[in-house]
Amino acid sequence: MLVDLLQQLFNGLVIGSIYTLVALGLTIIFGILGIAHFAHGSVAMFGGYLTYFLILALGIGVFPAMALAMAGGALLGVVLERVAYYPVRNAPPINSFIIALGLTLIIEKSNLLLFGVDQIIVPTGFNRIFTIGGLALPELRIYILLTAAALVVALTILIQKSWMGMAVRAVAQNRAAAILMGINVHAVSMFVFALSSALGVAAGVLVGALFAIAPGVSGGLVVKGFAVLILGGLGSIPGAIVGGLVLGVSETFASAFVSSAYKDVIAFLLMIGVLLVKPEGIMRRSVAR
Amino acid sequence: MLAVTDLRIAYGKTEVVHGVSFDVAAGECIALIGANGAGKSTILKAICGLIPPSSGDIRFEGRSIGGLPGHAVARLGICMCPEGRQMFPEMTVLENLQLGAYRRRSEDISGTIDEVMTLFPRLRERASQLAGTLSGGEQEMVAIGRALMAKPRLCIFDEPSLGLAPKVVDEIEETLMKIKNLGVTILLVEQAVSMALRVADRAYVLEAGEVVASGTSQEISNDSRVQSAYLGG
Repeated sequence: MLVDLLQQLFNGLVIGSIYTLVALGLTIIFGILGIAHFAHGSVAMFGGYLTYFLILALGIGVFPAMALAMAGGALLGVVLERVAYYPVRNAPPINSFIIALGLTLIIEKSNLLLFGVDQIIVPTGFNRIFTIGGLALPELRIYILLTAAALVVALTILIQKSWMGMAVRAVAQNRAAAILMGINVHAVSMFVFALSSALGVAAGVLVGALFAIAPGVSGGLVVKGFAVLILGGLGSIPGAIVGGLVLGVSETFASAFVSSAYKDVIAFLLMIGVLLVKPEGIMRRSVAR
Repeated sequence: MLAVTDLRIAYGKTEVVHGVSFDVAAGECIALIGANGAGKSTILKAICGLIPPSSGDIRFEGRSIGGLPGHAVARLGICMCPEGRQMFPEMTVLENLQLGAYRRRSEDISGTIDEVMTLFPRLRERASQLAGTLSGGEQEMVAIGRALMAKPRLCIFDEPSLGLAPKVVDEIEETLMKIKNLGVTILLVEQAVSMALRVADRAYVLEAGEVVASGTSQEISNDSRVQSAYLGG
């Protein structure tokens, strides 16, 4: 029984770490620009597809391919910010909301046109399974957890310690004061979109390695991402980390001990529960800390 | 150093500043005084690039800066200590100060942090506390310290005494005198007129978006209209 619990906890943390990566991007964008960036899931899928084709075309390993795809994702993020969101920065929020929906469709269909309709699995070559005291720890899942953890740590250091990270937090907390300090808010927006999209791409690659990428996967991913945001508190980085892991573990426990049919219901139950009991999220903090 | 000529500013179609002119020479401390709604804060916002002027000229060290974006103005060395203190509430006091030096981020700023903390010993004690949890007076110190962190060529104070206890206002006055004696050029906007006139070298009196009087602080203090309107004399 204990082994079962630990096994499900491990599986849950692996999936949760992917949710965390998706949610981090969404939460930083929301914290800075107040935009619900629904297209984030499609950007993630774009990254997964791109990595798959880079591995096939260049014959490189999954990590270099992922790094290239993340750079591509960052570039795509900047383009999205400039072309789609920047022009409506002073308009009422409903504008960016509609644009976000439109972008989702555009990127989703572009993925179809660019990469086809077939389901793909990102090849990693990590096939070993370690067994420790009855726990089955597939090599692939360990690498996923480590990759996600490394990215989260890197992001935290960047946001907490670098000048750019300080600028990001300053804009989230007090936009006018940030301008008075000499911070270029538009540059910060572009940086945030680049950073978030690169993280989203990483999440897409990990989904593609763990499960598969196919048209339609992005919708589920972005819903989970927003569930995490509501769980952890909109705009909160620690909230996205904790919320993602909580969602992943809850889902895995529910499908292992209740029924796998209810797996996807969990996200919504958690979301409704948090909204009823603690609507500011379990970690009430802005992009701040 | 700063020359404002025939500045007009409108919110939508409503003009609130009607052709204001004034200037600040290097090393001087100038006060803009006037009642609520006289347009003082609006003028400051235009200088700092937060709102565009509808006409007129703002020149800083000979260069026209009217309509320049706010961050570009700040990088020229015009630094504002804004009304209401405008903390970054969920960052520590130290981080707030560091952000003040954003325009000098390629330099070593530890010396400046030390200077600011010597000016405000209380900030040294509170360095790791979140700015949002400080008292109003302490937040004002952070706001002033943060402005000084930029090593500004021109430092603008917008209502530094607003909403503070009289004892704290006295502290702020002392601090402003210290900053002035450091040789920093100051543009001060205040509703606490007597305090402003004690600190400033010269003053401009604004009423309903126009300059109605100007002169040395001494002359302005002796002006009968100013006395009856602001100094309770």
